[in-house]
Amino acid sequence: MAARLVRLGSAVQNNTSLFKGLCKWQSTAAEAYKHKLINVPPTLVTVLKSGLRVASEDSGAATATVGIWIDAGSRYEDDRNNGVAHFLEHMAFKGTASRSQTDLELEIENMGAHLNAYTSREQTVYYAKCLSEDVSKAVDILADIIQNSKLGEAEIDRERGVILREMQEVESNLQEVVFDHLHSIAFQGTALGRTILGPSEVIKRITRNDLVDYVKTHYKSPRVVLAAAGGVNHSELVKAAEKHFVGLKTTYEGEIPILQPCRFTGSEIRVRDDSMPLAHIAIAVEACGWPDSDNIPLMVANTIIGAWDRSQGGGTNNASRLATAATESNLAHSFQSFNTCYTDTGLWGIYFVCDPLKCEDMLYNVQSEWMRLCTSVTESEVERARNLLKTSMLLQLDGTTPICEDIGRQMLCYNRRIPLHELESRIEKVTAKDVQEVAMKYIYDRCPAVAAVGPVENLPDYNRIRSSMYWLRL
Amino acid sequence: MVGRSGLHRIGTNLLKNHSGSSTGLTWQGWRKCSSTIPTTKSAPVAAESKSSTQPPLTHSLPGLPTPVYATSKDKQHFTQVTTLSNGLQVASENRFGQFCTIGVVVDSGSRYEVAYPSGVSHFLEKLAFNSTTEFPDKDKILLELEKHGGICDCQSSRDTFIYASSADRRGMDAVVRVLGEVTLRPQISLKELASAQQALRFELETLYMRPEQEPILMDMIHAAAYRDNTLGLPKICPEANILKIDRSLLFTYLKHHYTPKRMVVTGVGVDHDELLTSVRKYFVDMKPIWEEDTDLVVPTLNMQVDESIAQYTGGIIQEECAIPLYAGMSGLPELAHVVIGLEGYSHQDPDFIPICVLNMMMGGGGSFSAGGPGKGMYTRLYTNVLNRHHWMFSATAYNHAYMDTGLFCIHASSPPANVHEMVEVIVKELVNMAGALGEPELQVSQENMVIIITSVVLNA
Repeated sequence: MAARLVRLGSAVQNNTSLFKGLCKWQSTAAEAYKHKLINVPPTLVTVLKSGLRVASEDSGAATATVGIWIDAGSRYEDDRNNGVAHFLEHMAFKGTASRSQTDLELEIENMGAHLNAYTSREQTVYYAKCLSEDVSKAVDILADIIQNSKLGEAEIDRERGVILREMQEVESNLQEVVFDHLHSIAFQGTALGRTILGPSEVIKRITRNDLVDYVKTHYKSPRVVLAAAGGVNHSELVKAAEKHFVGLKTTYEGEIPILQPCRFTGSEIRVRDDSMPLAHIAIAVEACGWPDSDNIPLMVANTIIGAWDRSQGGGTNNASRLATAATESNLAHSFQSFNTCYTDTGLWGIYFVCDPLKCEDMLYNVQSEWMRLCTSVTESEVERARNLLKTSMLLQLDGTTPICEDIGRQMLCYNRRIPLHELESRIEKVTAKDVQEVAMKYIYDRCPAVAAVGPVENLPDYNRIRSSMYWLRL
Repeated sequence: MVGRSGLHRIGTNLLKNHSGSSTGLTWQGWRKCSSTIPTTKSAPVAAESKSSTQPPLTHSLPGLPTPVYATSKDKQHFTQVTTLSNGLQVASENRFGQFCTIGVVVDSGSRYEVAYPSGVSHFLEKLAFNSTTEFPDKDKILLELEKHGGICDCQSSRDTFIYASSADRRGMDAVVRVLGEVTLRPQISLKELASAQQALRFELETLYMRPEQEPILMDMIHAAAYRDNTLGLPKICPEANILKIDRSLLFTYLKHHYTPKRMVVTGVGVDHDELLTSVRKYFVDMKPIWEEDTDLVVPTLNMQVDESIAQYTGGIIQEECAIPLYAGMSGLPELAHVVIGLEGYSHQDPDFIPICVLNMMMGGGGSFSAGGPGKGMYTRLYTNVLNRHHWMFSATAYNHAYMDTGLFCIHASSPPANVHEMVEVIVKELVNMAGALGEPELQVSQENMVIIITSVVLNA
C-alpha cells in the first residue's frame, strides 16, 4: 500500500513538472497558427474502455497491414527466464484453443495473407498483411493467437530445436553478434544487457508455466496497441477490437511489473578470432530514451556521420566526410551510424567492418569526426543532414507494413503518432549549435562501450580509445 | 459524432484516474510509475543545460499549423501515357503522398553487350549520378536533390536500366533535370572511371567473400541456359574486363542504346502535363552529350544494337570451388549450390500468368524459419522437399521473365555429400510440375499472386 502511494505521488509530481514545461514552450512559440495541407491521410486513435489503443491510417489501398504491438520484450525478463518473450512469439503460431496449427496455417494461406512476428528488447509484435476486405478476419486471428495460444507441451519441446537453430542463424550474422555483445557490456548487469533469444541453457529448460506466467504478467490491454494501415476503416477496426480482445485483462493479479532502469557502463569486449577475414566493431555512447527531444539533433548528428559501403563507390564526393576518408585511404568495407532508443536510455554510435590492420586508422577517423561534431560542426553540413534526415524518414513510409510499423511503435513509445508536419518542423529547427550541444552532452568526454569481433589485435586499447573522446584544445 | 467520441474519451480518462487513486492497479498507474524512474535516474543529466528547449516527443510541438489531411476517397488516379515527337514515351500516375518518384527506364543491360566487352552495364550502374554537362560533380547533383528532400538510385537487370529519384513534389522539375543530365549528358571523367573501377574490384572481392552465392549463381544459370548469347552474357563484370572498358567505349554504348525510342520516363505522384513540360525541356530540347561532341564516340564498324532473340541452348556450367563459410561460431555447414532450370515464358506470353502461379505453387525458401504462416509453408518445395529431407538447406523457385523468353529455375543447397540426392530430388519436383494438381493448392497460389501483385503495385 505504501509503495503504491509513493508511486502515485511521483506520478503527480511528474505531471506538474510537465505542466510547467508546457507553459514555457507556449510562450516561446511565436509562429502563427495556419493551415497546412498534407497529402496523407490522418492517423485516427481510439482508446477502448479496457485501455487498449486502436490506431489506424486509411489510405484506401487494396491491401492492408494490421498488427498488435505489445509493450513487452526481453527487458522484462530475468536470468532465470531470459528468452521467454521470444519463445512465446514462436508458440503463437502453434495453435489456439479453437484453431489447430494446421487450421491456422490453412486459414491464413487461403486468405493469401502473411502472418509475421518479432520480439525486440522492449516490444513484441504480431502482424498480418492481407487484402483489405480481410482485415476483420485478420484481427480475429491475431487476437486469438495472443489470448488463447494453446502452448502444448509437445509443441514447446519441438520449438526448442527451432529456436536453437535460429540462434545459429543469428550467430552467422556478425552485425547481430556485435550488437548483442555491445548490449551485453554497455548495459552489463541489467535487463537490456541480455539477448532477446536468451542463452541456450534457458531455452532448453523453459516450461509451459514460464510462458503462461509471462503472458499473465505482461499481456495487459493498456499495454497493447492494435495498429493498421492501408485499406482500413477505423470504426470497423475499433468494432473488431472491442469484439475480439475481451480476454485481455486490465488489472494485475500479482505484483505490478516495473521497468527497472538500465545503467550504462563504458567498457569493452573483444572476441578476437584471427581466422575471420574482417574485423567487426561497434562503439557507442549512452544516448537518450524514446521521448527525449534530444533525439532529433542526435539523429541529425547520425546523418552527418552517415552510412557507406565501399562497393557503392564515388566516395570522394560523398556527403559524409567519414565516407570520403574511408574511400580515399581504403579504411573500411562499410560503416553505419546508429541511434538505438529504449524507454529511458539509448545507444548512439557507429558500427564498421574493416580489414584487420585498419581498425586503428578507421577508429581514429571516427573519433575525429565525433570530436568535430562536438566542437566545430558547420551550419551547411547540418542543413544538408536535416534535408537528408527528413527525406529518409518520409521515404521509409512506403507501403502499408512500414506505415503500420511506424504507427504501432510510436503509439507504444510516444502514446501518439507524431504528425509528419510536426516531425518535419522539429527537424527543421535543429541548428549547428543544437548539434554541438547534444554532441557535447552525450559524446564529449564520455566513456564509450566498445564491442569488437574478429581479427581485432590492431584495435587500440580501451584507455587510448577513451582518451580520444576529448580534445586537449578546443 | 466526432464530438461525442471525444467526450467519451475524456470520460474514460477521468474514470481511469479515479480508479487509479482508489485501487492503484490500473494501467495508468503502472505507466506513470515506469516513466518516473527514468526521470529520477537521468536527473543529473537534466540538471545540465538542456540542448533543446523543445517538448519531449510524447507531446506535440506548440504553434504548428493545423493540418488538413487528405482522405482516401479524394481522387481516382489513372496512368496517362504520351509519346513525344522524338519517340520518347512518358507515363505517369498521380497519387497520395508528399513525394513524387520519377524514373527513366532504358532498354539496356548486359543482354546487349555481345559486341562489347562484358561489364559495360555494370560500369554504367556504378557511374550513374556522376558529373554531367551542367553538374560539375556528384556532390552538386546530390545537393540539388537534397534541396527538395530527394534521393536517387540506379539499378539494372539483364535487359533494363532504371535511373530513379524521389523528392518533394515541388521539386519535380529539378528531378527531371537531374535525370536528363545523368542519362543523356554524363561526363564520365577519368577520375570517375578510376573510382568506378575500384568500386567494381571491391564488389567482386565482397561477392566471392560472402557465403551467399546468389548473384554468381544467377549469372551461371543464365550462361548455361543462353550460352554465349543475349541473356547468357554475364551481368557481373569479369575481373579481366575492368581495365578494358574505357570512356569512348562507354559513350559508344550509350549513343546506341540511350536513344529516345528505347527510353520511357515514368512518374508517380506528379501531374502529367507538368511532367511533359519538364521532359520536353531536358530530354528533347537539350541534346545528348554524344551528339554535341561526336569525338567522344568510337567511329566503328558494327556497334549497332543487338536485336537478336534470346536462344535457349540448355547446358551445364560447373565450378568446383571453396565457398566461404559463415564466419563466427554459428556452426552452419559448408554448402554446395545447384540451380536447375528450364525455359519459361516471356512476360508478353499468354502463359506468363500461369507460370507465375506455378512459381507461387513451388515456392520454397530456407529450411529454417519459414517465418510464420502465409510464407509458403504449404508450397511444394516445403512440403515435398524441405520438410522431408532434413539435409536440404534451402530450395527456392525463381521465375525470370524477359521480353522474348523466360527462365524458370529452382535453386537448392545442401552439404556437398548430398549433392547427388539433392539433384535427384529437385529434378523429380521439376518433372512432377507436369503431373496432377490439386484444386486447393492452385487456389492458394492464385490468392498469393493477387496479394503480391496488389502490394507490389501499391508500394512501388
